Amino acid sequence: MLISENIHIGGTLIQSYKICSRQVWFEVHKIDQDQENDFIMMGRLIDRNSYQRDKKSIDFEGSKFDILRKEKGTLVVGEIKKSSHSIDAARLQLAHYLYELQKNGIEARGELLFPKEKKREEVLLSEELKTHLDQVYQEIIAISSLEAPPHAKKCKYCRNCAYNELCWS
Amino acid sequence: MGKTLYVLSSGELKRKENTIIIEGSEVRKFIPVETTDEMLIFGEVDLNKRFLEFCTANKVMLHFFNHYGYYQGTFYPREHMNSGAVILAQAKHCLDNCRRLLIAKKFVTGSIENMKKALQYYSRRGNIELDSIIEKLTVFSNYAKEQIGISELMGIEGNARDCYYTAFDLITGGGSFSMKKRSRRPPQNRINALISFLNSMCYVTTLAQIYKTHIDPRIGFLHETNFRRFSLNLDIAEIFKPIIVDRLIFSLLNKKEIQAKHFGAQSGGGIYLSEKGRPIVLKAWEERLNSTIEHPRLKRNVSYRSLIRMEAYKIEKHILHDEEYQPFAMRW
Ligand code: SF4
Repeated sequence: MLISENIHIGGTLIQSYKICSRQVWFEVHKIDQDQENDFIMMGRLIDRNSYQRDKKSIDFEGSKFDILRKEKGTLVVGEIKKSSHSIDAARLQLAHYLYELQKNGIEARGELLFPKEKKREEVLLSEELKTHLDQVYQEIIAISSLEAPPHAKKCKYCRNCAYNELCWS
Repeated sequence: MGKTLYVLSSGELKRKENTIIIEGSEVRKFIPVETTDEMLIFGEVDLNKRFLEFCTANKVMLHFFNHYGYYQGTFYPREHMNSGAVILAQAKHCLDNCRRLLIAKKFVTGSIENMKKALQYYSRRGNIELDSIIEKLTVFSNYAKEQIGISELMGIEGNARDCYYTAFDLITGGGSFSMKKRSRRPPQNRINALISFLNSMCYVTTLAQIYKTHIDPRIGFLHETNFRRFSLNLDIAEIFKPIIVDRLIFSLLNKKEIQAKHFGAQSGGGIYLSEKGRPIVLKAWEERLNSTIEHPRLKRNVSYRSLIRMEAYKIEKHILHDEEYQPFAMRW
């Protein structure tokens, strides 16, 4: 299949990994999600309307941060999520950003924001998290090199997944 | 999902800020671009490059029809769901004779199965003359499975379709809509004109649905690919013509919603659905596409239009070696 030697592992891929490996395969193969899917549309709207004051969507080596700001001398990376439904995935995604920054000599802490639920959560990069992330990278590369996508398996994310129609047609 | 717009009147199609405007001598209509997927243009309209660029930016497809309602071509905005992996896989399945045949046969057998379903509906209602036609179709379907060449397969498809069309007079009662024989370019009588018109609706609808997936409509399996025109939409439409087009024709004629007066004669010979008949047929067509059935795997109601899109997704999965393609089969 068509994968360049080094797939770049961005934040969305990490998040997808937590949700469903089939999603990872689709994303690596540039099989985009259905753009008309209601959940994607809603995500975009929330993105646009919340936290207007902070500087938004900053690109860093292919990773996109929603919010980046300095607080008492430390860098804070903020990620906006539409719901805490897949909070585990969101945590790992943010940890991945922090890890990337660290590899470039920048120490930062993370914050998950759920504007609709008026909730926030702090994420700190621990050694444990880093080992876990290294494992995840290996597994993502393994999934990506599969000849065909992993079979669809019904899970609790399917209902709201933008690949829903593709998987269950 | 966006809407489909049928432009029957003449005038000018323009962009005004973020809105599409249709301006005729008497009417001025505003259409929000965000909620428009495709426009079927029957009237004599003028439009400029700026308008086409606007359509591209908003992924609005334009289908053009001539004075007689014959399909002329499509303005297909640039692909936005591109995946190199999918296109390569599709090309690979097209170039490999075995793989191509496998898919092409499914289109043919799937189509014949749905023709049988369309006839069985009337057979159950006492039209027993149809039974022998249904039997013959089964023979064609089995025969199709044994073919080892695309052109032979196409031949069988044609034979099956001819046999199937002999059922039309039995269902509609013939009369002023007697079919006798299928004729195209140009259609020689009213029912042939109606079939041609609605088949082209089915082709453009399928094209617009393929656009929402990652597969390329120029690479067909049953219909020859030559990159100058779309062919995969013709393939996929085979599955749906009996279910959507033909059933609609039977219903329009049996309820007498469409009558002889809705047709005209073309100057160079041939019969066509007139401007009076078109809105009636298009309204019924749109209603049919939007009607829903319960989808067994998605566990929710989906429209026939969505069902066509899902057929394209199934092809996508097949070529990705994910799941073997099984054509949609009408249950009743
Ligand atoms: S629909 Fe379900 S199986 Fe398919 S990609 Fe989404 S989560 Fe995975």
